[in-house]
Amino acid sequence: MTWFTLIDDKKLFNFGIDDYPQARDAAQSCLYFIEDDEDEQIDNVVRSCYNCAYRRWLINSFECKHQA
Amino acid sequence: MTQWLICIDDTDDIGTKGTGEIAQEIGQLLMDYCQQHGIVSSVSAVTRHQLFVHPDIPYTSHNSAMCFELVADIEQAIIYELAVAHLITESAAKADPGIAILNLSTPFDQQALIDFGLSAKQQVKTKQQAYELAQSQQLSLTEHGGTGQGVIGAIAGIGLRLFGNDGRVKGQVHFAGLDKKSDKQLTVADIIAKSMVDKVMDLEGAILTDDQVIDLSGKVKAVYHQHQYTLLVYRDEQKTWCNALKQHLKQY
Repeated sequence: MTWFTLIDDKKLFNFGIDDYPQARDAAQSCLYFIEDDEDEQIDNVVRSCYNCAYRRWLINSFECKHQA
Repeated sequence: MTQWLICIDDTDDIGTKGTGEIAQEIGQLLMDYCQQHGIVSSVSAVTRHQLFVHPDIPYTSHNSAMCFELVADIEQAIIYELAVAHLITESAAKADPGIAILNLSTPFDQQALIDFGLSAKQQVKTKQQAYELAQSQQLSLTEHGGTGQGVIGAIAGIGLRLFGNDGRVKGQVHFAGLDKKSDKQLTVADIIAKSMVDKVMDLEGAILTDDQVIDLSGKVKAVYHQHQYTLLVYRDEQKTWCNALKQHLKQY
C-alpha cells in the first residue's frame, strides 16, 4: 500500500484528514511512529498517523515530517 | 479579585514538551507564588484553540494556542516575569514562542479580540496585526525567540477563550473518588458533582438531563462551550450514551 506521495520534497498522506483506517494501517507499518502529545491526538486508536508527532496538518491532509 | 487571561503559542517542536503542559506549569508557578505571598488565587483548566493550518503559516505540527484564566490580586509585572522565564526555559530551541496577558478588569474591546481569534482560524494573520491589536487593547503581547510568530496565536487564543465556544480542555476529566482507568457509568448529576464538567451535551447540541446515564470509557475529555466545560456524548449502536470519541472532538 502506498500511503504517501512525495511532492516538492514533502511526504503527503494520500487519504486526507478523515480516513482513520488508512491512518492506522500506515502507522502500523511505520518504524518511526511517535505518539504525539495526548491533547493533539484525534484518533481513539493511539497508533495512527493522525496521532503521530511527525504529522504536520495541512488543509486537506498532513505531511509526514520524518525524513526516512 | 482580578481576573487574567494568559495564552501562549508556538513553544514546541517534534518530540518536545507540549505547549499545553507549559501553560499548565505556568499556572502552577503563579499559584505557588500567590500561596507563598499569602494571596488568594485560582487557575482554570487550560483550553486548546486550533488555529488555521496553511502553507504560509510556519508551525511545527499543530498550530494550536493554549489559554487559561488566573484569578488573583497580583501585579501584572509579576505574572509576566514568572511566565516569561518559564516560557523561555521550556520552549523548544526551534520554537517561536509568544505570550499574551490580558487583565479582564481593565477596559478592552472584547469583540475586537474575538474577531481576531475567529479570523485566525480561517486566514493568515500577521505579527503586525497582532501587535496593533494588542496595543489598542492595552494587552501585553511579547515574543521570546525565533521568529516570534507565536504572538499571533497567543492573542488569537485570548480572543477564542473570550468567545467561549472554541477549544478542547487540556488533559482528561477526572472524577473524584473514582479510579481513573476503569470504565464507569455515571448519571449526568454525578458527572457534574464529581468533576470539573459544567454540563453534558450531545453532538447536536442538546443538553442532557441530570438523571441520564453515561457510559464513560477511555480518555474522557471536555470541550469549551458557552463558557462552560462541557462533556460531549453520543449514542452508540445500543442507544447508550457514551463519552465522545476523539474523532468527535476534532472540530473543537
